[in-house]
Amino acid sequence: MAFRDRDRKDFNAGIMYVVIGAFFAGFATNYPMGSAVRMGPAYFPTILGAMLVTLGLLLVFRSFFMRGGERPSKTHWQPLLGILGAVLLFAFLIDRTGLILASAVTMVVCSLGGWDFKWKEQVVNSVVMTAAVVGIFYHGLGLPFRLFPWS
Amino acid sequence: MDFSALIPNLTLGFTVALSFQNLIYCFIGVLLGTLIGVLPGIGPVATIAMLLPITFNLPPTPALIMLAGIYYGASYGGSTTAILVNLPGESSSVVTCMDGYQLGRQGRAGPALAIAAIGSFFAGTVGTLLIALFGPPLAELAFAFGAAEYFSMMVLGLISAVVLASGSLIKAIGMILVGLLGGIVGTDVNSGIARYSFGISELSDGIGFVSVAMGMFGFGEIIANLGQTSLARHVEVSKVHSLMPTKDDIRMSIGPIVRGTAIGTVFGILPGAHTVIAAFSSYTMEKKLAKDPTRFGKGAIEGVAGPESANNAAAQTCFIPLLTLGIPTGAVMALMVGAMTIQGIAPGPQVMTQKPDLFWGMIASMWLGNGMLVILNLPMIGMWVQFLKIPYRLMFPGICLFICIGAFSINNASFDVYMATLFGFFGYYASKWGCEPAPLILGFVLGPLMEENLRRAMLISRGDPSVFFTRPISLGMLLVAFALLAMIVLPQFRKKRAEVVGEADA
Repeated sequence: MAFRDRDRKDFNAGIMYVVIGAFFAGFATNYPMGSAVRMGPAYFPTILGAMLVTLGLLLVFRSFFMRGGERPSKTHWQPLLGILGAVLLFAFLIDRTGLILASAVTMVVCSLGGWDFKWKEQVVNSVVMTAAVVGIFYHGLGLPFRLFPWS
Repeated sequence: MDFSALIPNLTLGFTVALSFQNLIYCFIGVLLGTLIGVLPGIGPVATIAMLLPITFNLPPTPALIMLAGIYYGASYGGSTTAILVNLPGESSSVVTCMDGYQLGRQGRAGPALAIAAIGSFFAGTVGTLLIALFGPPLAELAFAFGAAEYFSMMVLGLISAVVLASGSLIKAIGMILVGLLGGIVGTDVNSGIARYSFGISELSDGIGFVSVAMGMFGFGEIIANLGQTSLARHVEVSKVHSLMPTKDDIRMSIGPIVRGTAIGTVFGILPGAHTVIAAFSSYTMEKKLAKDPTRFGKGAIEGVAGPESANNAAAQTCFIPLLTLGIPTGAVMALMVGAMTIQGIAPGPQVMTQKPDLFWGMIASMWLGNGMLVILNLPMIGMWVQFLKIPYRLMFPGICLFICIGAFSINNASFDVYMATLFGFFGYYASKWGCEPAPLILGFVLGPLMEENLRRAMLISRGDPSVFFTRPISLGMLLVAFALLAMIVLPQFRKKRAEVVGEADA
């Protein structure tokens, strides 16, 4: 029952639940609790948060007795950073430069998260998709996008 | 039961669904759903989340007709991929893969696709009829529900969703709780206090669960796909020679199609991972009934006919709880709730009485959409084959971009895109640790509803929690929920569950 023998999936999930539950239940102390008849805004989240902490502790406790569980697979940093970075860039650029630049940049950065990155291929892909997206969403569906940084 | 209103109701439905505009939207929905659905590694939830924004500018009826079309287009597209390449786009297609892909390798992909289409159409027809038959009486029943009944029903819904879902029970309940908590972020309707908003004005409107679904199912899935190498290889696509099934194929498939439909309709109404369980149960049943079970896994046509019918029947009947009670039973239905809310419709029994044209139009269009699927898929199979050959490395940036635009267009705000990023990150790690995203989405939708009904029930009962046990319908539902939980503790059932959902996981 050594610490390093714990089931890492259960342990990590349990810690995650404890943290989330404690956060919600703890922060709920800022709101009025009310009573069972007139529940205040803190009532429901406190109950749920407490339940979540209990479940999390159970998972952590159990993880020491569940030997031989699979280890969680390694983090794939390249796709994780590539995709989420591209999405963050999209959110940042869409307000500042409009749809065209945001789409083109997102496409290229996103493809950095995949395998066999080839500049030429992905730039062409980016141009084609940007044109398609402007055609579909702006012209076709009439969604109110700003297209250019100056428009 | 009163069936006399069925004919005029269906007539109304078909008048709505057969209008030129709605037919076109239904067609576009089915086409786009199939188009995205055939892409390997993208399930129906991600497909719907991705295509949701194209319905924003439409009036409610065509928007929902189109979304329903996207849903079954995506489900069917997943089967096509399963038969042609050994890469299931969604978990329910895993079953189809087992024999469908083998048939494909024997040069019989065409008949397998045709049987899958015929089975799905039959199942879709039965499913649609059942909605039309049982929708109105169930909605009547729902009108009699008070706050206590609604609360107990949601408890039952959530419990059965986790019992039937895959993976660890404790983790699934945990994800539901996380979802419920996330769902109540925002302004509290009773006190007007903005809970957990930290002074961010967008958060006081709550976290839009469409962006949560986009993040967890869309980005999360893509990152996980890129992490494994199976999609990196050039995909081998089976050739389609002729679509015509032989007489033997048809003879052997009739039984599985009928049985699969029956299994699927039952599982569809139950909350949880309905399509997966339905498909698996049907496969297991056909294997048990077969004279020569060893043929299964080596290209038995029954192994395609049964699960495909079950899958599609469940995909239809899972609309019943949503349309009559307003309770979503899974992640896809949760997204439909989101779509309805965006259109200004509160899902529930009142939809049928207040907007009969929408309700019956949608039902009629489901049947038309299922017909379109057959017409669309069989002759156009060559196009899907070409589409499947596009390498994933060119495909995924475009999918990401679509999701970004989708998240942005919910409120025309980049805030939702930031939220989707956050949940993509969370979802990626949560599923690494064995916590599935589907229960979270369900909790997200039900969070505010549960709190509201709990409050109301307790207010009416003057703070006496026994109200949940003294009202018979409420008590019945809680007893069923308790029985389900008790069942899972029994070793025998536990083993069975691990067999069914564990396999589905692989």
